[in-house]
Amino acid sequence: MIDTSGLPAPADAPPPRSCVRIERPEPGLAVIVLDPPHRTLAVLDLPLLRDLDLALDEIEQDASLRGLVVTGRTPTSFAAGADLDALAAITDPALVARVIGIGHAVFDRIAGLRRRPSPLRTIAAVGGPVPGGAYELALACGTIVATESRETKIGLPETQLGILPAWGGTTRLPRRVGVPLALEAILSGKLYPAREAFRKGLVDRLAFAEDLLRIASDLAMGRARVKKRGRGWKALLVDKNPLVAGFVANRARAQVIARTHGHYPAPLAALAIAARAPRTSTAASFAAESREASALAVSPVCKNLIGIFQASEAAKKLGRGPDGRARRAPERAGVLGAGVMGRAIASLLAERGVWTRLFDVVPAALDVALVEHRAAARERVARRRAEPRDAVAAIDRLDVTRTLAGFARCGVVVEAVAEKLDVKRGVFAEIARQVGPGAILATNTSSLSVDAIAEGVPFPERVVGMHFFNPVKKMPLVEVVRGRRTSPDAVSACAGLAVHLGKTPVVVADVAGFLVNRLLGPYLDESLRMFAGGVDAQRIDRALEAFGMPMGPLRLLDEVGFDIATHAAASLHEAYGPRMTPTGVLEPLVRAGRLGKKTGKGFYDHKGTSRGGRAEIAGDLSRFAGADGARVPALSDEEIVDRAVLAMLNEAARALEEEVTAGPQELDLATVFGMGFPPFRGGILHYADAVGVHAIVERLLRIAAAPDVVARPGGRERFVPADSLVAMAKNLRRFHP
Amino acid sequence: MPRTPIVLAAGLRTPWCRAGGAFAREDSGHLGALVGRELLARSDVDPAALDEVIAGCVGAAHDQANVARVIGLRAGVPRGVPARTVARNCASGMEAVTSAAASIEAGRGDLYLCIGVEVMSAYPLIVGERMTRFYARLSSARSPLARVAAIASFRPSMLAPRVALMEGLTDPISGLIMGKTAEILAREFGISREDADKFALESHQRAKRARDSGRFAREILPVLPLDARGARGGEPHAVENDDSIRDEQSLPALAKLRPYFEKPDGRVTVGNSCGITDGACALLVASEDRARALGLAPIARIVSWAYSGCDPERMGLGPVYSSARALDDAGLALADMETIEINEAFAAQVLACAKAFASDAFAQNELHRGKALGVLDMERTNRNGGAIALGHPVGATGARLLLTTAHELAARKQRYGLATACIGGGQGAAVVLERMDA
Repeated sequence: MIDTSGLPAPADAPPPRSCVRIERPEPGLAVIVLDPPHRTLAVLDLPLLRDLDLALDEIEQDASLRGLVVTGRTPTSFAAGADLDALAAITDPALVARVIGIGHAVFDRIAGLRRRPSPLRTIAAVGGPVPGGAYELALACGTIVATESRETKIGLPETQLGILPAWGGTTRLPRRVGVPLALEAILSGKLYPAREAFRKGLVDRLAFAEDLLRIASDLAMGRARVKKRGRGWKALLVDKNPLVAGFVANRARAQVIARTHGHYPAPLAALAIAARAPRTSTAASFAAESREASALAVSPVCKNLIGIFQASEAAKKLGRGPDGRARRAPERAGVLGAGVMGRAIASLLAERGVWTRLFDVVPAALDVALVEHRAAARERVARRRAEPRDAVAAIDRLDVTRTLAGFARCGVVVEAVAEKLDVKRGVFAEIARQVGPGAILATNTSSLSVDAIAEGVPFPERVVGMHFFNPVKKMPLVEVVRGRRTSPDAVSACAGLAVHLGKTPVVVADVAGFLVNRLLGPYLDESLRMFAGGVDAQRIDRALEAFGMPMGPLRLLDEVGFDIATHAAASLHEAYGPRMTPTGVLEPLVRAGRLGKKTGKGFYDHKGTSRGGRAEIAGDLSRFAGADGARVPALSDEEIVDRAVLAMLNEAARALEEEVTAGPQELDLATVFGMGFPPFRGGILHYADAVGVHAIVERLLRIAAAPDVVARPGGRERFVPADSLVAMAKNLRRFHP
Repeated sequence: MPRTPIVLAAGLRTPWCRAGGAFAREDSGHLGALVGRELLARSDVDPAALDEVIAGCVGAAHDQANVARVIGLRAGVPRGVPARTVARNCASGMEAVTSAAASIEAGRGDLYLCIGVEVMSAYPLIVGERMTRFYARLSSARSPLARVAAIASFRPSMLAPRVALMEGLTDPISGLIMGKTAEILAREFGISREDADKFALESHQRAKRARDSGRFAREILPVLPLDARGARGGEPHAVENDDSIRDEQSLPALAKLRPYFEKPDGRVTVGNSCGITDGACALLVASEDRARALGLAPIARIVSWAYSGCDPERMGLGPVYSSARALDDAGLALADMETIEINEAFAAQVLACAKAFASDAFAQNELHRGKALGVLDMERTNRNGGAIALGHPVGATGARLLLTTAHELAARKQRYGLATACIGGGQGAAVVLERMDA
């Protein structure tokens, strides 16, 4: 029996032998069913590993057995992988190494059954989500059969959580499918749908749910066979050849570094082990897995990534109905306004199977919406992300109308018309007359109050903010804005819709800028002030990119558009007073019609970048620097980052005081998904904890005392530490436990 | 007259577009579903309340068998609502409506989504019979030698395709293409080339007036065609109007055209015939009670309808036979019809019908009645032009004739209207409509 003493286990761990069932449907065949009573979906936690180990005792001693099937409760529920809660709690690398050792040992016993004097055929019969540890368990079996179902998703996502597949996955996958494909799977962390997993050799056979166990049993008893697709000459030429494998690994390494800027150590560690795995003994490769993973698992990067993952999983639960199950998306939806946001929202809805009706008074805007939507649908087919019939269905599901009529059967109507209160109220008043009881009116406003927009709607409890980010299809966050009179049910319905659209919802209060734009305000303005004060524009961007932001603040302004940014800054100033005072540095540019990417030029020159080239910094920026405000003293890169990030952090502390989000976890999630705050830092409040609130307060005070900041006519207040920060610093408290 | 009052509760159509033009990349499923969906949304009818979807279509794509079902599901009609496709050649769109009416009368249901649709652009080229046999030989050749022998039997002439469009427009019984049946009528009824051209010109001028006055705006749904591309790199635009109306049409221009079907002395040219066209039209057909209960504002009541057969070689006279029966059924006379929509397959054919309507001899010999039906008043007929200017998407036209007649009655506050069409193969279709609050 394995020793689990001192290792983290769930509080409700059941007694031994209760998590795994052995069935013997016919002589010579044993079926191991993962069936832990304390989990709705089996998790490879310590109780389960312990019982799997006990089950193997029995299997190993039974010489009459010819075949073994390992499967889950149902054909579409196998196991969810390792116990993330436990992993998040472990801080001692030695303990991690012990947990890894247990997995290695148990899985290797299964692999060993094939090699015993009377060998067993071992078949993994899997389906539904088969991520990480669950797939590593399957990899230990001789043959893998997977359920052909939309629910089936197979892969090794560990590197996305800052660790690596350390229960033999990094070792066994390259041996099964070859180094290049294994690297793709491990480094991307992609979960492959059943067909693709079969095509790529991640599994050996597909079976319909109803046939899964029968086919697995036939395979286990030798009544049926699968054609094993070896790598053939490629195994010798590529996987076993140090030169070629090294070349492949080097290319992958360069790609990883380009993508992560070196902030994420896990993919690099996994890469090194996987590339060598076909040429290394199992024991040595397992040792490397264990060594690397136990160091990674206790690192802050891993903890932060797991934290964000868990926060996003928790956020998705917001969208569940009163029965605890995911809400069904409305059958029909309306979108008002075919601008950039409206048409992207409409296209996304249609793509996700909702009959969508898009309104705009400008016929050309509707034409563009349809052209973009159809092109996107065909693009997905061309990239093999969808079948042709999916594209046809998506195209059928978007209709356009030039009159504000025909919305009566819509379960939700999302408004994305001009950011003018009377226009928004006008369209909602009309829609409110049409829709049936239960319909929800959502506004995609970014600068107006949901309460103000709900004014005049006879059912304000069903008016919600649904703030998507641009570009809608790429940005993973939706701020669900709870107005003063919005009902919890309407909030939950919008969160559910966001989840249906593949987004992560965060519920925020109806305050100016909501959360993300409110935090971006001081961050962008501070960056502009540094630019105006003489700091090189490219240096500002590079410093924040090195910090981990996906793009520097000035490049972000180019994307947003100077007109929109100026407008947003003004409304924040109006709402929050002096600390949001905007610098005027963008004004001459806006006047000159230089608005950023959409006009071809902003801080960067975007001409000729339509084919994916990266825009170069514009050559004439010095004309605009120094136009406003005092000269900024020479700043180090750290000081540049501090000014931009701490201005935002201080505002985040205020937002948390005001309970704009439910708590620090949600706030962090919004910063990561909404503005791309570096995931490895775990969100802005995690960053505050990592630096130490005390140090944050000191640095804020130092910046507030800087001569150029003191000399500002307005905006110095953003560096005056928020009350809660001061209190926390005094009591040595943290945002996160 | 139907025992249950039956109404056209609402209707809508796409623009009629020249084949190979704006809708060249369309398919019946998409176009039919598009207009059906919009009609349901605008009329706020719960699709689940429909008793059936009925589509009229002559040449549905080979990959859209029972195109009505394809249209229903793609229009967002729940899967529990059945669908059937009906065909009566050029009157298929009308057949969709009248078979809904027949079902309502029989008490089988009281709410139907009826579609007429035709994408003639999509009519395929067919591999010829000799080529088909060649493929068969090739696939049944077992030995390499037999395969070589099979390949050797190939002749380049086998590649000549059969054109589904031309063959579809040819009556297999008489062996005549439709244009030739019009030539027969022109000769027998003494229709001159000049008369035919004048009629064609009038059709274009009336259609132009109707378009410019916004007369069609209430029945046309602007459509951004699939695969729409802007002209010369410009932005693509939704098609808002029927696109084969020739504003600059003139008698000299028409006179220049050579006879298409019978050279050199024929009178039928492409200028005085209907065009090959794509389009779709949707109508909600309901019992009057049901329409009222749903809060709809019906546009017209169906008073009577009739189909009748005639000589396939003189199929163009079909409207005379069927109108006689429909009018008798309604207890009305041709003179009571204040609006008449007759499909303009060919100018010569419509003019021949006009003569037959007014002829006592024709009435006695062909219709077995003592006196002529009456004069087909051209001022009341096709006031907004007809198929010569607008085009004739065969399966869709019948539905449009009904929609246009209903709107015309409403706009002019008239009581009775007649929609009628000739049908390839030797038939006629006629429906008498009545304005709702007349």
